Amino acid sequence: MNPAVEVRNLSYRYPQDGESALDSVSFCVAEDECVAVLGPNGAGKSTLLLHLNGLLPEHFSPEPTVWIAGEPIGSKNLAQVRQKVGLLFQDPDDQLISATVFEDVAFGPRQLGIEGGILKSLVSYCLGQVGLAGFEERQPHRLSHGEKRRVCLAGVLACKPSVLVLDEPTSDLDPRGRREFKTLLQSLPGAKIVATHDLELAVDLCSRVVILDDGKLVADGPTVTLLSNEALMLAHGLEKPHILLHRHPHGPVD
Amino acid sequence: MHPPGIERRAPSLSSRTSPRLKLLAVLVIISFTALLPRRPDKLYLIPAAVLLASWAACRMPLRFAIGRLLVAEVFIIGIALLSLFRPAATPIFLSALLKSNLCVLAMLLLIWTTPFQEILQQLRAWRLPSVMLTTLALMYRYLPVLGEEARRMSRARASRSFSARRRLSWQNLAMVISQLFIRSVDRAERIYLAMCARGWK
Repeated sequence: MNPAVEVRNLSYRYPQDGESALDSVSFCVAEDECVAVLGPNGAGKSTLLLHLNGLLPEHFSPEPTVWIAGEPIGSKNLAQVRQKVGLLFQDPDDQLISATVFEDVAFGPRQLGIEGGILKSLVSYCLGQVGLAGFEERQPHRLSHGEKRRVCLAGVLACKPSVLVLDEPTSDLDPRGRREFKTLLQSLPGAKIVATHDLELAVDLCSRVVILDDGKLVADGPTVTLLSNEALMLAHGLEKPHILLHRHPHGPVD
Repeated sequence: MHPPGIERRAPSLSSRTSPRLKLLAVLVIISFTALLPRRPDKLYLIPAAVLLASWAACRMPLRFAIGRLLVAEVFIIGIALLSLFRPAATPIFLSALLKSNLCVLAMLLLIWTTPFQEILQQLRAWRLPSVMLTTLALMYRYLPVLGEEARRMSRARASRSFSARRRLSWQNLAMVISQLFIRSVDRAERIYLAMCARGWK
């Protein structure tokens, strides 16, 4: 069976200054697998995520570098790719573009030609899925940060993606918001790729981790194994998470 | 910050009138005012009377109207001043002032009585080009975000501004405005990417 996402020898240079952002990055994500993308600031995490949705590169080369469910991303199948890969941006205000929550969640389905009663029930269903039933007429600028992020997620889920790509999903959330959002993500089916600095989220949510540093993939393996490797973590601007520092009374965490 | 008029719908007869009727009435008043002679004239009393009567009917608070009129006044006077460079300038200057104020007042009455979402829906029903509708909707959505960003930047600047010199405070203000512009461009790019990610073409 084809992996949900396959990245092969992906390199990218910023067009403004020609500086390398990604250098021969390769990895696969299986269906229903959750993978964390870790790395210091400027490692290329967000740039990598934009490639998974076909937002980058600006011009596709004939040699594909990213495959979604076995289909190479190219200029001809961008619409299908963007429907299959739901991308949650770091700042919810970038993603919430409409005057009401309903309009915003309906934005993606409308691009797919869904209207009328089906659209209404789809929006209600997705808002219910993220725990915001009845928020249809609320205005995005009146919501808390956590609620905004949930509305963004509802907007992504409304396109029925098979892969969820999340850029710093828990940044700026208070501990309760973070815990609730993590539980919500755990409940969602399908492949998930999460770029984050929240290492405890990576431990709780993801079975596998890839570490990027300076545009290169420097490690790929089971979450607990990699995150317990203190030397590796320190070498790439990361730290062993507290959750792994405490030894479990009945043996090792893994 | 909220764009003017949001969630301020007055519980009056005007708020129960259909948005189509209100939008149409405002367009008629604005067109009529714009076509009035370019000198102070008794005809100006017609739109003024209609607007004042509507004001009383919809119970728009004086503070709401004056505050927003004052903001618009800067631009109104700026434009009216240009007419002073023409021959027979004074009547044109006065008529420009009158016309602009009446038109802004008409718009204020509209936004006081009609939620922005309903105005947009009506414009959509009138088949206004979707690019214009999207621009209006995005402007409405991001005005509070930009306002909040400007406030944060001003606060951060103020916390490091120790001089009482007026020149420096103007420089600070200019810096905030320029930074806000640069950040808005960056944000616009991110918004565009986020829209594309959900299939926008």
